[in-house]
Amino acid sequence: MILRLSPGRSRSPWAAFRFAAFASFIAAWVASSLGFASLAGCSEPPRGLVLWHAYRGAEQQALESVARDFTAQTGTLVTLLAVPYDAYAAKLEAAIPRDNGPDVFISPHERLGSYLANRLVVPANEAFPDSDLARYMQAATKAVSVEGRRYAVPLASKCVALYINPAILHTAPESLEELERLKGSLGPSVFPIAYEAQSVYFHAGILHAFGGQLFDGTTYAMVGPAAEQAASKARSLIASGVVPPEPSGDLVKQLFASGKAAAVISGPWLASDLGDSVPYRVVPLPRIESAANEKMRPFLTVDGAFITPLGDRKPEARQLARFLGSHESAITRRDVGKQDVATESAWSAASSDAPAAASGDGTGTGTASANANPPPPVATTAAMLAAFHAAASEAIPMPTSVAMRATWVPAEQALRKVLRGESAPKAALDEGLARYTDIMRPIGETPSGQAPSPLPIVFVIGLLLLAAAAYAVRRARQPYFAQELKASIPAYAYVAHSALTIFVLVVLPLFAGAALSFFAGTRESPRFVGFANYIEILSVRGRPVAEWLTHGSFYFTLAVTVLWTVVNIAAHVSIGLVLGTLLARPWLKLRAVYRVLLIVPWAVPSYVTALAWKGMFHRQFGAVNAILVACGVEPISWFAKFSTAFAANLATNIWLGFPFMMVVVMGALTSIPSDVLEAAAVDGATRGQTFRLVTLPLLKPTLLPAVVLGSVWTFNMFNVVFLVSSGEPDGATDILVSEAYRWAFARNAQLGYAAAYAVIIFGILALMTRTLGKLSPDKGAKT
Amino acid sequence: MSQATPHALGPEAISGKTTLTATPFVEPVVRSPTRALRCEARGIHKSFGQTRILKGVDLTIAEGSFAVLVGPSGCGKSTLLRLVAGLESADTGKILLANKDVTRLPPRDRDVAMVFQSYALYPHLTVRENLRFGLELRKTPAAEIASRIAEASAMLGLDALLDRLPKQLSGGQRQRVAMGRAIVRRPQIFLFDEPLSNLDAALRAEVRVEIRRLHDKLNATTLYVTHDQVEAMTLADTLWVLNGGTVEQSGAPLEVYERPRTAFVATFLGSPKMTMIEGVLTRENGRFFASGGGLHARVDDDRFGSHLEPGRSVTIGVRPHDLGLAKHGGDPVGELKVELVEALGSEAFAHGWLRASGPTFIARLSADDARSVHSGSVLPLSVAPSRVHLFDPHTGVALDA
Repeated sequence: MILRLSPGRSRSPWAAFRFAAFASFIAAWVASSLGFASLAGCSEPPRGLVLWHAYRGAEQQALESVARDFTAQTGTLVTLLAVPYDAYAAKLEAAIPRDNGPDVFISPHERLGSYLANRLVVPANEAFPDSDLARYMQAATKAVSVEGRRYAVPLASKCVALYINPAILHTAPESLEELERLKGSLGPSVFPIAYEAQSVYFHAGILHAFGGQLFDGTTYAMVGPAAEQAASKARSLIASGVVPPEPSGDLVKQLFASGKAAAVISGPWLASDLGDSVPYRVVPLPRIESAANEKMRPFLTVDGAFITPLGDRKPEARQLARFLGSHESAITRRDVGKQDVATESAWSAASSDAPAAASGDGTGTGTASANANPPPPVATTAAMLAAFHAAASEAIPMPTSVAMRATWVPAEQALRKVLRGESAPKAALDEGLARYTDIMRPIGETPSGQAPSPLPIVFVIGLLLLAAAAYAVRRARQPYFAQELKASIPAYAYVAHSALTIFVLVVLPLFAGAALSFFAGTRESPRFVGFANYIEILSVRGRPVAEWLTHGSFYFTLAVTVLWTVVNIAAHVSIGLVLGTLLARPWLKLRAVYRVLLIVPWAVPSYVTALAWKGMFHRQFGAVNAILVACGVEPISWFAKFSTAFAANLATNIWLGFPFMMVVVMGALTSIPSDVLEAAAVDGATRGQTFRLVTLPLLKPTLLPAVVLGSVWTFNMFNVVFLVSSGEPDGATDILVSEAYRWAFARNAQLGYAAAYAVIIFGILALMTRTLGKLSPDKGAKT
Repeated sequence: MSQATPHALGPEAISGKTTLTATPFVEPVVRSPTRALRCEARGIHKSFGQTRILKGVDLTIAEGSFAVLVGPSGCGKSTLLRLVAGLESADTGKILLANKDVTRLPPRDRDVAMVFQSYALYPHLTVRENLRFGLELRKTPAAEIASRIAEASAMLGLDALLDRLPKQLSGGQRQRVAMGRAIVRRPQIFLFDEPLSNLDAALRAEVRVEIRRLHDKLNATTLYVTHDQVEAMTLADTLWVLNGGTVEQSGAPLEVYERPRTAFVATFLGSPKMTMIEGVLTRENGRFFASGGGLHARVDDDRFGSHLEPGRSVTIGVRPHDLGLAKHGGDPVGELKVELVEALGSEAFAHGWLRASGPTFIARLSADDARSVHSGSVLPLSVAPSRVHLFDPHTGVALDA
């Protein structure tokens, strides 16, 4: 349907009719959609109270049952909404300020700091009156309080405890050293204990036993003699083979399930993963003899029911929150949802309310077995929950401060350094503190504390606009410009809608991101800083020039990224060329099969591939090291050194990327006329010479755009670098995009800084594309 | 069925050739009758999948001679050429170049040069680099390369084009560059695969002459494939007519023209085509006549000898050029009722019947005679007995084969 914009053309009545019919159809469609939407809004049933949570399965069932009880008792309707955990915080932050979200929501307590900063919660007040203090676990109450005020009703707690394999360990170990002493007597491939040693969350038990802490309320605190001793202890556990190296959560679970670990440190989630098939027993974490016999005290996370500003206006909301923490609800949540509830009364009445103990192994509650033999020490769910509850009483609540978020990454990097044996504990931990301080350093604050003037930016934008205007004027001055423009108007009409879409979806966010890069600070408190972010990045955060190529600096990461791109593209093109040429030969009978096999790497989502390859490069259990060992080579710790970690990333990305080049080459080869190749053969060229002297030069015009595209994609290949090596060791294999990601999401949410990174990356790529594009001049331009 | 007889290169053929194509400033090359065989193909069979393309072909080309393979599409002539070049391999049979068995050798070891139908110039190289390509591959010294390029360029008039890319050349120029590329190689044998079919008619005639001139100058051995019988007639020293994967006849062009061995060869050469009509032999007064379609012509008794029998059915073939007005002489054969006249300027062809509702005959008229002839005229025609051809109606083989 052509919209005629040029006046003066005669419009036949038929054309006018068509136009009118089309326009009215569109109008009717839009109107009916809006109508349906609004109708749907009108016909929505009354919602009552809205409760958001991130539970699934049994926990969700328990919550629904409790909500039904509440409705039965008070008559207030409760609408539950299950939100996926990953998006939970973001959804809360998006909905509540717009008066759109829940009245009450259930969330882990550690986000309280950010909730307060975003004004998403109000004090609990009547939901948790002083008279209720005795109702709940002390530690849980402490967790949901900030500066003495309580903001949530504590519902359940989570912490890690010790799972022991009853077949190997008949009694709970008294101390960690007792487990260590078991090494050697258990059998060849059995570990006395396994836990995610590289995660600070799991290391916290050891840290707290030695008297150290991660965060002291205001700043990073994993430094000093206590932390060093804890780190040394963890290192010695791995070095002596008591704990497996590079353990992931999955690995820990597998080792326990297959009997290859006598004990593991894990949380309640392991129980639901293990199911009924594996016998286990849960006990609190042991002491550490070398830490003056102090207990290992893990972090405690408390799920609380928070009240939002929306629920603030409704007294029923606080009633609901209080009801959720009541004794009856707690029993339901414990028995049906298998939660370690924070309501003490549910545990003190345990002997009368808990189902008949013993028999069976890890099976459900409440079925008193007919043949009740004296039970072997195997856990039932209730016993397991009781064990976790006992462990929780010793646990330390996770700090809620917003600054806490930025402590994890430096602490983990420091811990991993120590565990790898790369540096002494003191040096690594001090470096952790230095990193934290560096991250938290405010950017762009002028000495006088005033905001910097926007003058430089206005100047630059003004220059850009002037340049654009000059260019436009120059174009307009060319002859025939007006005529060409008029003749192109129908073309613009065709293109208008898609241009608009692209503008809104691509160009506007680009400008928004660029605008964001002129601000610094976290999401809650942005400050205009002009070009300070760019200056920070390009001057490597104030480090001396001698250090500009050391690891951690922008230029180092840039060099790594360039190296990454060049090596990848070279490999992609060579492999693509070889395979494309091979597959183009007519006598390869199984060509269709080979084609599919080679396109599979391209079709599988890149993150799936990345995770698979990461598993293959695991030092102990990975396929690659297994092959190396079978060939008689020493197993390599792939992510401990830059060269091997880079090679691992490289291998994954090459596997992912060569099919694209191969397909491009195969297509380009069909465009080379066969008689030119025959002429070369008759002229005396071998196949190799024909390929080099005739085929390759004729492929170049097609390969060049493919190379440009591939370079841009590889330069920005976040998936592989983030998922395979995660920047190990210690951020050395990070490329610019993953570095930017960390600044945005892992290091104190420096969104402006990350946006500046993104603009710089964009600039580099634009430059690279222009340069590569200039590399294909027309050779016949001599005449 | 092979016709590999050296006598095709006898003096008659050569003199016939010089009459047709010699120009004043090219000295005819006198060759001795016993000439070394430059290229030989024996017993070639080739199939592509289920289709049999060549069904037992023997080919011989003498040193320095110009052999043309001609035939309709699909007859296998290009395939045969590619077999000689080494771009295909035969199912059975042998190929010898200068008495060396090259059947198993790849193209680059055979020392042949080929000019392709689509020229096949290297698009990314200039003309000079195109010419240099093969020589550089064989590690020819630079001075030698330069002199050969200069020579070929002078021969073909490429001097002004040496630095251009193929896409900046016209069709005729590209053709010459392709020939130049073959010339600088100085190969054992030149192979041409329908090189003129992509050119327009005027250019075709010009380049045709150039090709022959070049051949004479270089004293080169050439194998040339075409479907155009005019090219075949004008260029060949030896003509090889292929049909359906076999050689129907080979020999000097004139001989093949004047003494076609099969009906196919007879109708293939000559334009307008030879008129073929079903007829029967009769004897009158001791001489044989062939009658059919209204034509009643005396035949050459000596030529056909014992094959002549009264009452025998034959296919009679008469070329339009040989069928002329009776008033110019010759034995009268009938009266043509003219249906239409094609005037070409230098001559004209009258189409008509010799007998009511009989087959169409075409007769040649001079331009002057044609002035008074129009549709409906009646023309008495005559034809010389030596120009009456007889073929077996079932096999198509000439009676005097």
